[in-house]
Amino acid sequence: MKILNLLSKITFVIAVLFSFTLSLSAQSVDEGKTLFNANCTACHAINDKVVGPALKDVSKRREEAWLLKWIKNSQAMVKSGDPIAVQVYKENNEGIMTSFEQLSDVQIKSILAYVKAESEAPAAAPVANATADAATATTASNDGDWKSMINWLLFIIVALLVFIITQVFSILSRIGDIQGKPVVNWNQLNSVLLIVFLVVGMGAIVWEFSAHSKHTIFNYGPASAHGAEYDDMFMITLVLTGVVFVITQILLFWYGFKYKSDGKRKALYYPDNHKIELLWTVVPAIVLTVLVIRGLIVWNDMMYPKEQNGRKIEIFAYQFGWNARYAGVDNKLGAHNFREVGVINQLGVDTNDVNAYDDVVTNELHLEVNQPVDLAFRAKDVIHSALMPHFRVQMNVVPGLPTKFSFTPTVTTNEMRTKTGKPTFDYVLLCNKICGSAHYRMKMKVVVDSKEDYKKWMSSQSVLVANKTANKAVALN
Amino acid sequence: MSDHNTHHNHEEHEHHEDNFISKYVFSMDHKMIARQFLITGIIMGTIGMLMSLIFRLQLAYPNMTFPFLEGIIGHWGKDGKLDPNFYLALITIHGTIMVFYVLTAGLSGTFSNLLIPLQVGARDMASPFMNMLSYWFFFLSSAVLIISLFVDGGPASAGWTVYPPLSALPKAIPGSGTGMTLWLVAMVLFIASALLGGINYIATVLNMRTMGMKMTRLPLTIWAFLVTAILGLLSFPVLLGGSLLLIFDRSFGTSFYLSEIVAEFAGGIERTGGSPILFQHLFWFLGHPEVYIILLPALGITSEVIATNSRKPIFGYRAMIGSILAIGILSFIVWGHHMFITGMNPFLGSVFMLGTLIIAVPSAVKTFNYLATLWKGNLKLTPAMMFAIGLVSFFISGGLTGIYLGNAALDIELHDTYFVVAHFHLVMGSAAIFGMMSGIYHWYPKLFGRMMNETAGHIHFWLTIISAYCVFFPMHFMGLAGVPRRYYANTAYDQFNVFVDMNEFITIAAILGGVAQLIFLGNFFISIYKGKRAPQNPWNSNTLEWTAPVEHLHGNWPGEIPHVYRWAYDYSKPGAEEDFIPQNIPDAGQTDPMEESTGLPVASHATTSAHAVA
Repeated sequence: MKILNLLSKITFVIAVLFSFTLSLSAQSVDEGKTLFNANCTACHAINDKVVGPALKDVSKRREEAWLLKWIKNSQAMVKSGDPIAVQVYKENNEGIMTSFEQLSDVQIKSILAYVKAESEAPAAAPVANATADAATATTASNDGDWKSMINWLLFIIVALLVFIITQVFSILSRIGDIQGKPVVNWNQLNSVLLIVFLVVGMGAIVWEFSAHSKHTIFNYGPASAHGAEYDDMFMITLVLTGVVFVITQILLFWYGFKYKSDGKRKALYYPDNHKIELLWTVVPAIVLTVLVIRGLIVWNDMMYPKEQNGRKIEIFAYQFGWNARYAGVDNKLGAHNFREVGVINQLGVDTNDVNAYDDVVTNELHLEVNQPVDLAFRAKDVIHSALMPHFRVQMNVVPGLPTKFSFTPTVTTNEMRTKTGKPTFDYVLLCNKICGSAHYRMKMKVVVDSKEDYKKWMSSQSVLVANKTANKAVALN
Repeated sequence: MSDHNTHHNHEEHEHHEDNFISKYVFSMDHKMIARQFLITGIIMGTIGMLMSLIFRLQLAYPNMTFPFLEGIIGHWGKDGKLDPNFYLALITIHGTIMVFYVLTAGLSGTFSNLLIPLQVGARDMASPFMNMLSYWFFFLSSAVLIISLFVDGGPASAGWTVYPPLSALPKAIPGSGTGMTLWLVAMVLFIASALLGGINYIATVLNMRTMGMKMTRLPLTIWAFLVTAILGLLSFPVLLGGSLLLIFDRSFGTSFYLSEIVAEFAGGIERTGGSPILFQHLFWFLGHPEVYIILLPALGITSEVIATNSRKPIFGYRAMIGSILAIGILSFIVWGHHMFITGMNPFLGSVFMLGTLIIAVPSAVKTFNYLATLWKGNLKLTPAMMFAIGLVSFFISGGLTGIYLGNAALDIELHDTYFVVAHFHLVMGSAAIFGMMSGIYHWYPKLFGRMMNETAGHIHFWLTIISAYCVFFPMHFMGLAGVPRRYYANTAYDQFNVFVDMNEFITIAAILGGVAQLIFLGNFFISIYKGKRAPQNPWNSNTLEWTAPVEHLHGNWPGEIPHVYRWAYDYSKPGAEEDFIPQNIPDAGQTDPMEESTGLPVASHATTSAHAVA
């Protein structure tokens, strides 16, 4: 029994190794790019220091042989006392670079080729996906320079104005001191400014709604089944709070203007009115009751979805990246064992669990449209949070505490691209809980496929242990 | 009453210890301690604000370099580029400083200390010695926090909420080394300070009120400070416990907050069996009442300032007390709304959501009462009054977005986005800062015996309210687009590129806000020495502090402590000669201060109060 267990473990490990090594072999920039995005972006960028140093012109700084050795096992080099290795280690806060022993020399060379190509690319076109995009990006950045200059010019003018106004007022107040009566009547001036502020402010808010609403997630509607309910709830709250906001702010600033002291009038002595107070306690209470009841309905609908037995996918988070693990044909996710987390078994999949053999691990999250999914979340190191804005989905990812979220995507990536008019649009899952220096770039691409596309994509993925039935039989013996 | 005896003792006391150290450094006089809290708070606030400007520059110009940064922050700004790790350190320390050191100690510490004895009619705090310790614990705590900026690995960087495991494991992030240890030490010292102060405030309000100062005659400031102190006393010890457990996890290898962490990542010992969420429960059990520990004193100050400067009684005095109490009690059962998406039982989420949205009712009552107080008033738009009006405006704007975030369903999407940043910076940040500013402008004559420059005050107000709205209002839209907070840059996401201009605008507005605070700082520090001498009662206010002499006196009143015959809000009472009747003026025929006040004062109270002073 023990031997069989060991055997199955070895098969598993070899299979995982195989799936990594077989997938790519030829040296090319394109493949380097794929590998780079899958393995390196968590800690490295070409031009910026992230966790590790910026990689621009790394081939010029170091020998290729040194780089190969370093990428495969940097810790060994540091320990052996290689002077450059020790220096790099110290320069980067003594952080240990993950070992990539599973990468072949050819693969690493292709990554280096990609880095070289990117280093030599003109700086104005960062991560150029499509040439058209790059062109717009360039003009946009030129535009940005101009706008930036105008903004700062405005700032300088405002600062100057402030200075001049301060000086004028200080002179006026000195004149007032000499004359024995103030020149500027701040009571009058403030009351007028309150109204100006109210009018300009409300105008700015209206402008802002017209200018920026289109950037919000509500503009193209939700991409999930529960999203419609969510958006309704949001809009109801927006209308109710909006009405209260406008009325109370207008009253506040209007009273400030209307009831300013004129030196003649006396204030009204009016300490109490129980009827009015009762009214403005009960009315907000009723409105809030409505909001609470509706909110509870939406919350419960989202937390306890009617569709049971969705497709099971585990979302695994680590500093700084995501993996998705599909449950495979049996729709049963293999158990996990955090003690098995290592260089090869990065997700800590329990190698004793037969259910794990047909699991599929990917760097992108593909979902089938209108097919309910049960996402289970697991973290390796610190708390992360998986936010998928377009689906109105978010759940914290906590080490040692399994969390879950079930939903049904309803709009494919292609449909959303047409809807938004952006051919490069992609759904995204991003980290929304502070987790370290590369928190701001810890993301996973999410693709919603049609049924056929999903099938096609899934069949192109390799399962953890290819010869599933055989192994299952072996393990069960 | 033994007022006379106490007073004599004080006189003797003063002869003994009137030297520089005992007067200005280890002072036990509540008025001096208030000044110490205020000035330390202002210094910390300036540091916190400068930090925000540095990270705002990064957010507006993620692709640019600022060579001067290297001069300010050394290797963290190598080649003029802010290090991502130090960005996280900046937001962490900015949050910590603003929440605890400025808006808790700087606001409540200053005004509770200054106003509680003066407004209830006491010679000093119940325990002046504990009061002194409270300040010096706070000072030590501030010093430790500032020192932590310079240690290896940088200061704490796990966000001001310091969630483990990020904060528990030195390997998780550079800032979780020595910097995090010092953060926790600073927090423990801070809590000691808050508790020493809080016990004192409660004891003084409950036991040391002057003759006739019934609870129902207390100014609303005192009610707010009292409830604030009770909240602090009940919630800070929980954070102390939480912090100690975190110290154990960090230094002694325990696993209170750690689960399924491999040995390699956790300092050589495998950690399992704890729960990271436990820390969040302990943290937010303080953290949510903390929001009201910050806000209630600001609201109390506003009540006082609005009533005085509207020349009107505060509308619905009893309803105001009721809402302060309701907010105080409810604040203890809503902490879970910070944790809706931690995977906690959805039923628990429902309960927390219910409690959270109920808080909106007393908050609404307060807002409407402020509006009713302004209505048909005779408004003196002093800088203090303008800041109070500004507070009400922010309280509305920021409070309403709380209705979105308190709704568990809506929070799923909005949690930890810029919508949250906008919400709490308006309702807790800007509102409380405006309350603090209002208090400073209003009680500056009491604090320093001089007046601040009014013109500079008005300019300060207008620039600050404009910049605060320009900074925080647009952030709602970023939040609704799903932009997460605590991002070093938004460059990794195509869909966030649309906010490049907005980010730049916000940064420029923030710098404008910073410039405006220079006007305040200048006004504040110059007026201490050069301001006009303050008159006895510059705002014609009813409360007792204005019957005490302008020059500070250990023991507050030279003669007997005045007795109180009425509530604090007899402004513009029909039939009275002037538009205010101070609390120490009896009614016609009233001899016993405890009798309910019914009518008008005996004679012209202006002469009476002048007598009291002479």
